[in-house]
Amino acid sequence: MFEELLEDIAQKNGLREVNTYLKLAAGLGAILLCLLSTSYIAPLFIALLITGAILLLARVDAKTYAELFMVPVGFALMSVAGIVLITGGHDIFWHWDIVNGFSLSVTRESINQGMFVFCRVIGGMSAMCFIALTTPMTDIFIVLRQCRVSEVVIDLMMIIYRTIFILMNQVIQIYQAQVMRLGYSTYRESLHSFASLCGAAFIASWDAGDDLIRAMDARCYNGKFALLGENRPVERFPCFAVVLFLTLSTTVVIVSGTITII
Amino acid sequence: MSSIILEARDIRYRYPRGMEAICGISFHIRRKEKIALVGPNGAGKSTLLTMFNGMIRPDSGMMLFDNLPIQYDTASLRMLRKRVGFVLQNPDRQIIAPTVYQDVAFGPINLGYPEKEVKEAVTKALRHVGLDGFERRPPHQLSGGEKKRVAIAGVLAMDPDVLVFDEPTSGLDPSGSEDIMELLDELNHEGKTIIISTHDVELVYPWADRAILMLGGKILHEDIPEVAFGNPESVRTAHLSLPILLELHRELQKRGFLLPGKKPRTVLDMMHCLETLFENSRSHTRQGIITVCNVDMDNQEYLSEWLSMHTGICIGAMGTRAKLSAENSRIHLDFTYGVIDKCILKALLGENCLILTAESMVKRVYQRVDAYGEESGVHIPVHRLESEPGVPDGKNGGVP
Repeated sequence: MFEELLEDIAQKNGLREVNTYLKLAAGLGAILLCLLSTSYIAPLFIALLITGAILLLARVDAKTYAELFMVPVGFALMSVAGIVLITGGHDIFWHWDIVNGFSLSVTRESINQGMFVFCRVIGGMSAMCFIALTTPMTDIFIVLRQCRVSEVVIDLMMIIYRTIFILMNQVIQIYQAQVMRLGYSTYRESLHSFASLCGAAFIASWDAGDDLIRAMDARCYNGKFALLGENRPVERFPCFAVVLFLTLSTTVVIVSGTITII
Repeated sequence: MSSIILEARDIRYRYPRGMEAICGISFHIRRKEKIALVGPNGAGKSTLLTMFNGMIRPDSGMMLFDNLPIQYDTASLRMLRKRVGFVLQNPDRQIIAPTVYQDVAFGPINLGYPEKEVKEAVTKALRHVGLDGFERRPPHQLSGGEKKRVAIAGVLAMDPDVLVFDEPTSGLDPSGSEDIMELLDELNHEGKTIIISTHDVELVYPWADRAILMLGGKILHEDIPEVAFGNPESVRTAHLSLPILLELHRELQKRGFLLPGKKPRTVLDMMHCLETLFENSRSHTRQGIITVCNVDMDNQEYLSEWLSMHTGICIGAMGTRAKLSAENSRIHLDFTYGVIDKCILKALLGENCLILTAESMVKRVYQRVDAYGEESGVHIPVHRLESEPGVPDGKNGGVP
């Protein structure tokens, strides 16, 4: 089912040892710049740079990255098609009156708008992927604590994080056991199998919860969950690279102004 | 004989709406003992184990720790659980935190250690189980054996006196099981009392100081392994099998061979029996030499030099640190478990051996070889590999 999780990729990516704040600054900065930009060029530029970083610096497998990227691009294309057809404008290229008062049209403005939105999506997505593929959750917990997020929230997040993998494992095992005994063979059967999968997963998670409490008690649980490790030190080269990237992108945002595609 | 650390006095326990899981058990465990609770599934082993650290309170009877009745208020339980570490059967259920470091640090943090001490305790515990460098790994990426080690490190970090293991080798491959058993041996040598539950008779037979056979919530038989497993009747009643060495011994006796000494617990013991039986068949008059190298001494260079002079020697590593060190120096290991016995067997054949081990286990080699020498009358020389040649050998040295 889910052989490789994003988290697994993040745990062994090439930028794992870079300071988390630097990676977050690059990722979040890129998203912000994509939103601030008024032209389609800047987000495209950012997407290009970040994709380069993901493939070359973080050494994420290109196929995995492409697969990951295709999912939101599919959605983006659908919504862009809607935007292109619905947005009005003066320079009309194509026009269809369906009923009185409701028409579909392709105009210069709508194409520009569609392209702009699409590039923004790509830019934002690549920045999100950058964070997801280079920064494992375990490092984000450290940042959250340093940002003074409430301990209860972080403890809960950590327990959930740990439990997801255990539950996932169990779900995969149950699923495989069902498939081996010809579950999911017909539509009716698959409904039945899925229902029992959910039931079994619920019972398993309930058990796991009981065990968790027992395991914590056995190790003298006293309200403190876990000490977090330390952040990686800020090194000169990555720091310089992030600053360069953000400056370059900001320049592109300013220079490109409101350039449109047509 | 050392003092009693854990004691049960006629304890009974019934699961809510269930049948009686423990029906009147009394026993005691002494400090530094290696105890194996053996019995079929559902014999009440796990239930009994969870009573040792107060997770379950017996309905009647009394549990004593360090000669004091166990109190079941929160503060006393915390103290008890600090001193009695419990390793669950399924490490996935025991590992709580998202990284190895955080999980091992869980106990020490909750005991209120300052950060520096927590760090020390974690580093030491991880080193002990041979997982240096795993600190930032998430547990779900580890193999079964590694997870087990993380779970053990999590308990070791609290530095308990007693370690309780529920099925320590379940789900591990044979060499993983042997590694874990050896780790338990190492811990025992550092003065920890070890209690394990299992149904793997072969594994505990040579390992345990005392075996407790359980069936249906009762103790069937409690004695040293040779005796506890030596009675085919009670072994069969407990749905277990006779250890292969004991069975062989029995069959030989039935055929009229008079085997000397006590019942064999290891292949080495068996060999001794057989060799005494067929005295004349021993063709080798000169024994090989066993050399012991302490890997904590930082004598890598001397060791590789020594190895280049002694090519073709059999090398065994005992303990996780020794194995790691051998791996780092690319030394090919011939034995990784049951090392001393295997080296003695080799030495009896006239071959020389080298044992790599940690400081704390060096003495163990001498003890074992001495004990064998006393029993069999065959003296095998044990030398110590020192960085400066010419340092006098150990007490057993040079007596072929």
